[in-house]
Amino acid sequence: MIQLILQQGVSKELVNFPHILEFAYKKNSTIQLNSFSSTVAGCISLYYILDGKFNWMIDSQPHTLFPGDFAVILPGQHFGGESNVLNIGTLYWIKIAADEGGKPLIGKWSGLNKNEKLSVNQILLVNKGQLVLKLKEAQVLLQSLQAELRNEEVGFFTRVNQLLDELFILISRQLIRQNNSRRDFPQAFLKLEQTLRQDLEHQWTVEEMAALTGMGTTAFTEKVKNYSGFSPLNYLINIRITEAIKLLKRGEVNVTDIALNTGFYSSQHFATTFKRFTGYTPSEFRRNNRSKG
Amino acid sequence: MDCIITIELGTNAARVFAFDLSGNVIGFAKGHYPTFHDRPDQSEQDPEQMFITMLYVLKNLLNDKVYPKKYVVSCICFSASMHSLLAVDKDGVPLGNSITWSDNRGKKEAADLKNSDLGTAIYSATGTPVHPMSSLIKIAWMKNNQPDKFSRTHKFMPIKSYIIQQLTGSCIIDYSIASATGLMNTRKLTWDTTALDFAGITPERLPELVPVFYSGITLKKEYQKALRMSSSVKILVGSSDGCLATLGAGVWENRKATITIEDSGAFRVIGKDIIDDPKQQIFNYVLTEKYFVSGGPTSNGGVIFEWFTKQFGDFKNAFDIDYAMDALIREASEVNVGSDGLLFLPYLHGERAPIWNANARGCYFGVNIRHERKHFIRATIEGILYEMYSIGKTLEKHRQIDSLSINGSFASIPLCTQIIADIFNKPVSTLSQGDSIGVGAFLLSATDMGMFTGLEEASKMVKMHHTFLPKVNDHQIYKRYFNVFENLITKVSDEFDAISDLQQEYSS
Repeated sequence: MIQLILQQGVSKELVNFPHILEFAYKKNSTIQLNSFSSTVAGCISLYYILDGKFNWMIDSQPHTLFPGDFAVILPGQHFGGESNVLNIGTLYWIKIAADEGGKPLIGKWSGLNKNEKLSVNQILLVNKGQLVLKLKEAQVLLQSLQAELRNEEVGFFTRVNQLLDELFILISRQLIRQNNSRRDFPQAFLKLEQTLRQDLEHQWTVEEMAALTGMGTTAFTEKVKNYSGFSPLNYLINIRITEAIKLLKRGEVNVTDIALNTGFYSSQHFATTFKRFTGYTPSEFRRNNRSKG
Repeated sequence: MDCIITIELGTNAARVFAFDLSGNVIGFAKGHYPTFHDRPDQSEQDPEQMFITMLYVLKNLLNDKVYPKKYVVSCICFSASMHSLLAVDKDGVPLGNSITWSDNRGKKEAADLKNSDLGTAIYSATGTPVHPMSSLIKIAWMKNNQPDKFSRTHKFMPIKSYIIQQLTGSCIIDYSIASATGLMNTRKLTWDTTALDFAGITPERLPELVPVFYSGITLKKEYQKALRMSSSVKILVGSSDGCLATLGAGVWENRKATITIEDSGAFRVIGKDIIDDPKQQIFNYVLTEKYFVSGGPTSNGGVIFEWFTKQFGDFKNAFDIDYAMDALIREASEVNVGSDGLLFLPYLHGERAPIWNANARGCYFGVNIRHERKHFIRATIEGILYEMYSIGKTLEKHRQIDSLSINGSFASIPLCTQIIADIFNKPVSTLSQGDSIGVGAFLLSATDMGMFTGLEEASKMVKMHHTFLPKVNDHQIYKRYFNVFENLITKVSDEFDAISDLQQEYSS
């Protein structure tokens, strides 16, 4: 196959796909100084190695990639070649615009439904320290993408976006498999709890939580109920109230901010839930329990 | 109709039972809370999460199972796992998380104290082996390593005292839990001056000591209202999980001992005398002013078999460990007694009783070319149970023991119960009610309500379900293998230190 580098605004093949900023199939046969210096990524970049050995720095961590390896670089991550060069070898890459405002990574082009998008999003963000994968299955998808973009046969517009969706599904599933043993539920649940605690403001859905453990929602709900005694959402409320109690006792943050920081829709919603759990309204509780430092 | 509620603040969950006055379970609910290991030696739990989980589970149980059946709560009795430590400031607000029994940060403080005359004196006075698990060592560690937190701490207390203080406003600690802190003189039933001096604290920085039958506390108004209870509901401070599990297993001074194996395990007896063990292998915890629970804990119980299953079991469905364990147990039962000469030292977590060596590590020994996976499965199980036997033997030097009762999910697996009977060469009974901690708390409450003349009579209420008799031939085989097991431990003792040092140095 001959090399191919398509760029948004330059290559007519991408006119129909404003979200694809770049698509490349590259054979790199010489090493050029400063050909691949570290920059902060502004979009989602996906790299797949076909041939050779690549030494890269991703978020200041050294990674060595071999054929069959796949790297996902998220917006905001530092990325470049070690010693600022691109090593000799063959690789695919594709750069995809993150949605406006940066929050959902997968944009409107995608056929995934809202919950699926959220789940893929969470999986990518939660695993952003470990985004180098063994992913041989990606090769076929990238070859098909290349063919669709070049040949523009009937239905190509739909096919290209479908292939991109497939790619993201594949990445998400592999991330879950690679980073979860699927043998140790207590471990997976602890990891999930830590993820929840780190972002209690987020309106977590059961689908997202299940996706992070690599389970379907039904199996996940049953497993959580069995293991913890609570439904996933009740367990989450438990954590929210726990954090709220600590903040109320510390006495630095006002009650409305505590409500929002711990993921309640409003101070009213917070007050009702808090009273239901503890018998106190948040302000009564604070009056009785505050630390004076 | 009256009922009794027991609340257990366990290692990884709050368990709440409702009993009718005959001791039948009306309802049960549990709520899990996690343990955080931010560093390898660290093991902590969130006190507010434990409180809110306990409260939520209690409330749900009352509303779902107790009130709809027209029961009226007459008594609530508490139990909790031992050795936890929480530091709170002058306003009663926690300074960080509660540190659990398995936290190992104080290992240097423990090692230094253990081999000194002071350590011997403290063990003898407090009955708690000198080990990082105890509050004594945890406080000493904090004094040396977190001096700021140490000096800001108004009171040091176990999680049980904190939860009771949240509910009632009183800062108290029962004799059982207190006797596991390493800070209480078990003969005088007061805080021990020598131990407190070592920890660098005065009695004012600890909760007030009360007997397990103490009930001079009432729920705060808000919780009376939230739980729909009157102010006359008796709140019984209760005891520790270890002491209550022993009572709830029908053990008294009747030449009986009980073996508990969940994740970790213990071998326990009850008696009027403290066992002053020159080797400091045995704990003595206070049940009442007159009776002591003595025994030894292992850190390597069912958790080791779970480790084995996760590594080598066949998982048909994601996370379905129960299925994988059942399959392994079936495979193990086809192997000859003694695993055809394959031995296993189960010290993956270091070990407490009887060797009290945090550097101990696991080991398969005697592997030959004919051993298959199934031998490793059975050897793993047998190794965990040999370890229980070596704890039992240290107790048998001080007490005559004719029969055993068992509880805990691992010990209750029929294959394991039979192996226990065969190794010990004693009849082993399973209990008709599974949760002996809850049963023990019920018996304590019922005794307090005057339904029994005392705990001894109460303990006779515990019914045995099924008795496994020892097989003489199998005992002979186990006995010979156990000799090798026991010798092996002493022989590799230096290498335990060497390998544990290397592991610390090289593993990330």
